[in-house]
Amino acid sequence: MPLRIGYLGMAALALTAVSPTVLRAQSTFDSAVLGDLRPRPIGPAVMSGRIAALAAVPGNPVTIYAGSASGGVWKSKDGGITFEPVFDDHTQSIGAIAVHPSSPDTVWVGTGESWTRNSVSVGTGVYKSVDGGESWDSMGLDDSERIARIVIRPDSTSVVFVCATGHLWNANTERGVYRTTDGGVTWNRVLSVDENTGCSDLAIDPQDPRILYAGMWQFRRRPDFFSSGGPGSGLYKSTDGGATWRELSAGLPSGDKGRIAVAVAPSRPSVVYALVEAERTAFYRSDDLGESWTETNASSAVVGRPFYFALVVVDPVDFNRVYKPGFALGMSSDGGKSFGQLGGSTHSDHHALWIDPADPQHLILGTDGGVYISYDRGAHWRHVGTLPVSQFYEVGYDMAMRYNVYGGLQDNGTWMGPSRGIGGVRGREWRNIGFGDGFHAFPDPTEPDLVYVEYQGGRLLRVRKSTGEVKQIPPYAAGEDARLRFNWNTPIHLSAGEPGTIYVGSQYLHRSRDRGDTWERLSPDLTTNDPAKQRQRESGGLTIDNSTAENHTTIVTISASPVRGAVIWVGTDDGNLQLTRDAGGTWTNVVGRVPDLPAGTWVSHVEASRHADGAAYVTFDGHRTGDMATYVYRTTDYGASWQSLVTEAVTGYAHVIREDPVRPGLLYLGTEFGLYVSVDDGARWAKFEEDFPPVAVHDLVVHPREHDLIIATHGRGIYIVDDVTPLRHLTAAMLDSAVVMLPSGPSVIGLPTSLQEFPGDEAFVGENPPEAASIVYYMRRRHMFGDLNVDIYDARDSLIATYPGGKRRGVNRVAWPMRLKAPKVPRATSLVAQPMSFVGPLVAEGTYTIRLRRGDDTFETTVTLLPDPRATSTVEDRRLQDRTVMRLYLLLRDLTYVVESTASLRDQARERADSLGGRGGLARRLTRFADGLETFRAGLVSTSAAGRLSGEERLREWLVDLYGAVNGYEGRPTESQLRELERLDALVQATQTEFDRLTSRDLAAVNEQLQRQRLPPLDLESKEAWAAR
Amino acid sequence: MRAVMVASSLALAVLSVVPALPAQELSVDDVLSRYYEAAGGMEKMKSVMTRKMTGRMQVGPGMEATFTMLGKRPAKMRMEFTIQGMTAVQAFDGEAGWMISPFMGQTEPEPMPADIVQTIREDADFDGPLIDYADKGHTVELVGKEDVQGTETYKLKLTLKDGQVTHYYLDSEYFLPIKTEARRTVQGMDINAETFMSDYKSVDGMMLPFSLQITGQGPQGQTLSIENVEFNVAIDDKMFVMPEKTKTP
Repeated sequence: MPLRIGYLGMAALALTAVSPTVLRAQSTFDSAVLGDLRPRPIGPAVMSGRIAALAAVPGNPVTIYAGSASGGVWKSKDGGITFEPVFDDHTQSIGAIAVHPSSPDTVWVGTGESWTRNSVSVGTGVYKSVDGGESWDSMGLDDSERIARIVIRPDSTSVVFVCATGHLWNANTERGVYRTTDGGVTWNRVLSVDENTGCSDLAIDPQDPRILYAGMWQFRRRPDFFSSGGPGSGLYKSTDGGATWRELSAGLPSGDKGRIAVAVAPSRPSVVYALVEAERTAFYRSDDLGESWTETNASSAVVGRPFYFALVVVDPVDFNRVYKPGFALGMSSDGGKSFGQLGGSTHSDHHALWIDPADPQHLILGTDGGVYISYDRGAHWRHVGTLPVSQFYEVGYDMAMRYNVYGGLQDNGTWMGPSRGIGGVRGREWRNIGFGDGFHAFPDPTEPDLVYVEYQGGRLLRVRKSTGEVKQIPPYAAGEDARLRFNWNTPIHLSAGEPGTIYVGSQYLHRSRDRGDTWERLSPDLTTNDPAKQRQRESGGLTIDNSTAENHTTIVTISASPVRGAVIWVGTDDGNLQLTRDAGGTWTNVVGRVPDLPAGTWVSHVEASRHADGAAYVTFDGHRTGDMATYVYRTTDYGASWQSLVTEAVTGYAHVIREDPVRPGLLYLGTEFGLYVSVDDGARWAKFEEDFPPVAVHDLVVHPREHDLIIATHGRGIYIVDDVTPLRHLTAAMLDSAVVMLPSGPSVIGLPTSLQEFPGDEAFVGENPPEAASIVYYMRRRHMFGDLNVDIYDARDSLIATYPGGKRRGVNRVAWPMRLKAPKVPRATSLVAQPMSFVGPLVAEGTYTIRLRRGDDTFETTVTLLPDPRATSTVEDRRLQDRTVMRLYLLLRDLTYVVESTASLRDQARERADSLGGRGGLARRLTRFADGLETFRAGLVSTSAAGRLSGEERLREWLVDLYGAVNGYEGRPTESQLRELERLDALVQATQTEFDRLTSRDLAAVNEQLQRQRLPPLDLESKEAWAAR
Repeated sequence: MRAVMVASSLALAVLSVVPALPAQELSVDDVLSRYYEAAGGMEKMKSVMTRKMTGRMQVGPGMEATFTMLGKRPAKMRMEFTIQGMTAVQAFDGEAGWMISPFMGQTEPEPMPADIVQTIREDADFDGPLIDYADKGHTVELVGKEDVQGTETYKLKLTLKDGQVTHYYLDSEYFLPIKTEARRTVQGMDINAETFMSDYKSVDGMMLPFSLQITGQGPQGQTLSIENVEFNVAIDDKMFVMPEKTKTP
């Protein structure tokens, strides 16, 4: 007997569930509350991003670990076709990876990249996995900030060395060479110089692992200056397993040295190579275990940017072949005497190289543009297209239907790509529209074919997308004005209140009202203009490195009030927060009013409120002086007073704060360690944690039409939280309610699209949102007992669909695909290859009522569906399509009833015949009846056993095919389709007539005979009962 | 294969509501005995010899399949699901697995690939692996408390006899699973199957989840809604054994 669960039972269960709930207060505003408002990654991986460390498993080189500069650790088990992130619960900036040579499931990761460019992130120590990256334990050295290398003693499982580079922006003691002899439980610092000097490289002698070499490096970065080199730098050697060290000097430069890389030739360990940054940077070779050195080369292939490229890798078999990654891949085959350059097709700026010890032709290379693999010793390269570790600085959008996202990246120019694609966002849908390091990018609001982009140091461009033309449109110094100083990441700002007005900041604020052709200066120098902070031409230390990365005393953030265009806020990198209330007539530096803020702290973002003209939000970022605190403030009185919005829930130096364009007090915050939201104007923050790694969030914007939160991460590409409308209605007071229905934005009934391709697996596909309307509600706690379903009613209050509800604590978002149930289709042997025949008809545009049923409680809301604005059809066309597809839908239902009833009667007749032993008049009569039914059925549906390629077509197949064709196009069906519908309709009616004949006269006769023999009659289920099943 | 993963969640089957005691350190045995009790008690569970479940599953946007799952002690199972009037079958008779996959153009029964059989063998365990786990050669350890989508759970690590691991997350008040997580390699593919359970209802005094949300198989995953559960119905052993030939539809 079928067991049905009654509501009474459930209500009783629900009651038992109630009392413990009271004990567990859960109404806090935390990550789980955000629930299904989950950021989805759209990539891209096409340009990928900086790779700081690489390792592969010797003997099994298809297992590859790639350490991204700020996007975590990725593992491939298939030679680099696909990669999975394996470090998403931890710090995303990676400096070093080491795989144990004889126990390859043991993997060490040093966090904190050591390629100390201006935009580098920070680490939190060393981590270890013993299960091939499935799980990780923090093993300490938390304050090392960055780790250049990890060396595992090959003849041991417990002795490991860490080359800790240490803090970049200030002094610290946790740097130098550390050794553990107990697998990382305890560490001893075995080599240190001073609090300004850390370890830049570490190498071990594979034959005699008591011998180690270490490069020690004195370096420092400031907001305005970088310095590589000093008396602390030197090359050191240990011969007692790292216990004691002495500095090597014979043949090496005698003065100050900078960053040093060192490598031992595995096939002849007496040969050691080093790259030594010095007054004269050069490549050195030792043939006597490092005791004496000879300069072999100082060509451009080896001397460039040592702070960024100090890496030497020796061929595992040929001790005279040595690689020097740099702008390109330097390679010497004569022991370092001469260098050629490989890797012409690869992204420039090489930071990591792994060579297969069993096949030295097989190279894996890490660059500013991702991972490349070569099987012919660097002659040709395959780019890995599945690493979405792209480092965005800024993000913009357009108003296209299915809008595009725009943004600039570290060393990868500026790109645009769709917010969603057919079946996902593919690499080929992204388009490069700018070069260098890219930053802000916006289409012109009134002429969207034009896009403003830039590259480093204020190089402002206007790109015409349709033709690819590029016009350089920077402002120039006028008259008496000082030479313009532009930040590395120069702010471009579109006025929200005055469309057509754009602002750019140098040390002055510039405004253009003709798309950048003419600029007027709106301000005096808004910075401190402190000459001591304008030393970029001397920046670099031993190697001058003036890439504009250290340009200082510049404007870095601009915000014109959307409420009153004359109110403009400007923030500078040297800590000024300037306000004008008369469009630049007068300026006031209000930073002195900001409490608990160290003087001179970089203003990372200012956001004029769109809800009140005296209100603004500001983030400050002191990390470039070693101050890692989070600074977020609000003013409501033009900067006269400020309130800190930082709570204990927020960590990481702050990059950006955005105010929701619709709801006052709804704030989005991006820091170095993630993304936060507040619904109460900064009193409480919740972090996006589910499916979102602790990656740096550099920019955020809410799309004004779609209400999507677009997130620029610096290390994991772009993410989108689709439709934040529910967040606009979630209040702190609601958190204590058991269930609250939340509105969502109107949903567009998207035009059906499809795509055929067989791309293999080496392609990153960004995630699409479901083609669905969202039914959103908040639950205080997880649903455990009894049913929780969502019913959807049309305008006549008829129930058209039921879906299982989301059950989680927090915000649930149920995707309703805006379709009726899939059509009923008669059983048969062939599958009709019409993709749109598997799904029900789209419902009509309009408003639908949603009822959430949870036990005995019902909660109600509505959702509104709109037609796709791209549709070329008229309302009348769509109505005709709707009527047509619904007729086919119902014809299919009618036919299914006929076919299933026929098959059921046939089987019952055969069963009775069998039970009669097949003999006698009645048995024969039953068999004849069954055969007649089968003949009838076989005329309606495919019955060939040949399966999908039988090509057999009957009424079922014609109907399904036409249904799928009409269902796949949201406009007017073709005249031919309308005629075909009439033909099939007639056939279904004829079929119905024949079925009625078989089941009235013939069935009655058979049943009469059965009853005479006291046998149960054949049962024909009524259509109503069947349909209700 | 989807159906196999589906089955794995349903094997969790049997489960009554026990109010939580004040917070205290529980051992793995404490957690398990609360679970057995919450699920209806060992005696009741063992009195069930066969099980038939029917329901619906969302297999993609707007695509719904109906399914029937049959199970019989000690380890026989059969899963059928129907889309567009065509029915696929996956079954295991205690030793061998077989299937009919009309959506792949295969209308006759065929033996199941060996490593899918491994998966279905796991799913066929009638009581689920946490019941009599030691007799079955499995081990269970209490990992600790863990937050699952904002709900506090006890996390159990089940290591199957063959070394495969499944994590169970038991609600810390009710001691019923709200999530399982299993990483498996099937035909060379790594699958991380997460199943979320809810809508628990009592059937003959045993608690069963009537809603299962399965992720790890495509971005949207699958949602199963169970509509009917019957215990101790007569099920012919033949239903689990690979037939010579399909009968006419």
